Amino acid sequence: MARFDSLESSVGHTPLIGLPKLSPAPNVRLWAKMEDRNPTGSIKDRAALAMIEKAEADGDLKPGATILEPTSGNTGISLAMVAKTRGYKLICVMPENTSIERRQLLEMWGAKIIFSPAAGGSNEAVRVAKELASKNPDWVFMYQYGNPANTLAHYQGTGPEIFADLPTITHFVAGLGTTGTLMGAGKYLREQKPDVQIIAAEPRYGEVVYGLRNIDEGFVPELYDASVLTRRFSVGAEDSVKRVRDLLEIEGIFAGISTGAILHAALAMGAEAIRDGKSADIAFIVCDAGWKYLSTGVYSADHVSASEALDNQLWA
Amino acid sequence: MAKDARFSNNKHMTTAAIEVRIPTILRPYTKDAKVVSADGADLKSVISDLDRQYPGLAERLLEDGALRRFINIYVNDEDVRFLGGLDAALKSGDSITVLPAVAGG
Repeated sequence: MARFDSLESSVGHTPLIGLPKLSPAPNVRLWAKMEDRNPTGSIKDRAALAMIEKAEADGDLKPGATILEPTSGNTGISLAMVAKTRGYKLICVMPENTSIERRQLLEMWGAKIIFSPAAGGSNEAVRVAKELASKNPDWVFMYQYGNPANTLAHYQGTGPEIFADLPTITHFVAGLGTTGTLMGAGKYLREQKPDVQIIAAEPRYGEVVYGLRNIDEGFVPELYDASVLTRRFSVGAEDSVKRVRDLLEIEGIFAGISTGAILHAALAMGAEAIRDGKSADIAFIVCDAGWKYLSTGVYSADHVSASEALDNQLWA
Repeated sequence: MAKDARFSNNKHMTTAAIEVRIPTILRPYTKDAKVVSADGADLKSVISDLDRQYPGLAERLLEDGALRRFINIYVNDEDVRFLGGLDAALKSGDSITVLPAVAGG
C-alpha cells in the first residue's frame, strides 16, 4: 500500500533492501532495513509516534500541552514533527556537541532546545531533563529510555515487518541507544525463531562523552534487558566511518554514521558464518540517511581525518 | 597456539600480554596512563593483576564480586558480559577496553 491518510500514518513499513555486493557470499546475505524512509528520516519516528499516542490514550497529554524530552537529535526531530501536527509544544534537552543540522531541523519543526554540557554526553541531557521534569510537573515527560511504548513500537512494527520480509533471518543487528529497537524487534524475532541471534552495535565515542565525574553517574536505560541480546559490540568512529563509506561506494546507500557501526558488526557476523561454513541472512538497521552529518565532512574528507572530526561529537 | 607461545617464552612471563584501555575517570589510579598492560588467563585474574599494579582499581570495577552496573568491559570490542563475564577466557594479544555506561539516543 502506498496511499496514506496523513504523514503520521506513513510511519514504518520501510523497505528491506539486499546488498548483493557487500554480502560476503551468495548464501551469507546482508539486508538493510531502510529506516531513513520514515517521514522525518529516521527510525525514531516509530517510537515518537507511539509514545505520544500512548500518552494521549492514558490522558496524560492534553491539547496544547508541553512535551519534554532529552535527545541527541533524532527522537527530538520525530517528536517535533508529531507535536507540530497535533498542536503540542516541545522542549528538547540536547547535548551541545551534536551536529548543526540536528539543531536546525529541531527549530524548523518548532521545538525549543535547551543545551546540556558536552562532557557526559546524553547522560547530562537525561540528568538536566529529569531536573526540569520535576520542576515543571505540568510538562509531559516522554522519556524514551524508560518508556515501554518505545519498545512496543518495535515489537509491533519493526520486528514483524522484518520477519515478514525475511522469514529465513538468522541475525538481527541494530544500534544500542535507548535499547528500544533491539529490545522490541529482538524480542519479537526471538519469539518467532528461538535461535535467531540478536546483535547490538554500540557506538564508542571520544573521551569527552565518557567524561563523567564519577562512575555512579553512569547510565543504563530502564528498557534494557540483557537477556534479549546474544552479543554486544562496541564500534569506534574509525570503523563506523569506513563502513558508512563502503555502503555508499559499494551499494550506493547514503546512510548516517551510526549505521556504519551497525554494518561493521553485521559484517563481522557474516565473516563468522563464512568461517563456520554456515548460511546466514543478516538484517541490519539503517537508522537514518547521511544528510544530517554532511557538516562533519565524513563523506568527503580522507578517512582518518573524518573519524578524528567526530572525536568529541555525539555522532550516533 | 597462544598457550604454547607463552610456555616457550617462559622467561618473559613478566612481560604483560594483555592491553587494557582505561577511561579518563579511572586514570587517577593508573598515574594518568591511558593504556596499561596486565596478565591473566581470564578477566578475573587480569583485574587482580591490575589491582596489584594499581591498588584500588579493582574496587572501582567490581562490586560484591561482580562487574559494577555502570562499568562496561569489552574484550576485542565485544561486551565481556556476553563472553562469560569475569570468567571470560583471555589470551596474549587480547585488547580490553573499560568504559563507563553512557546513554545514547
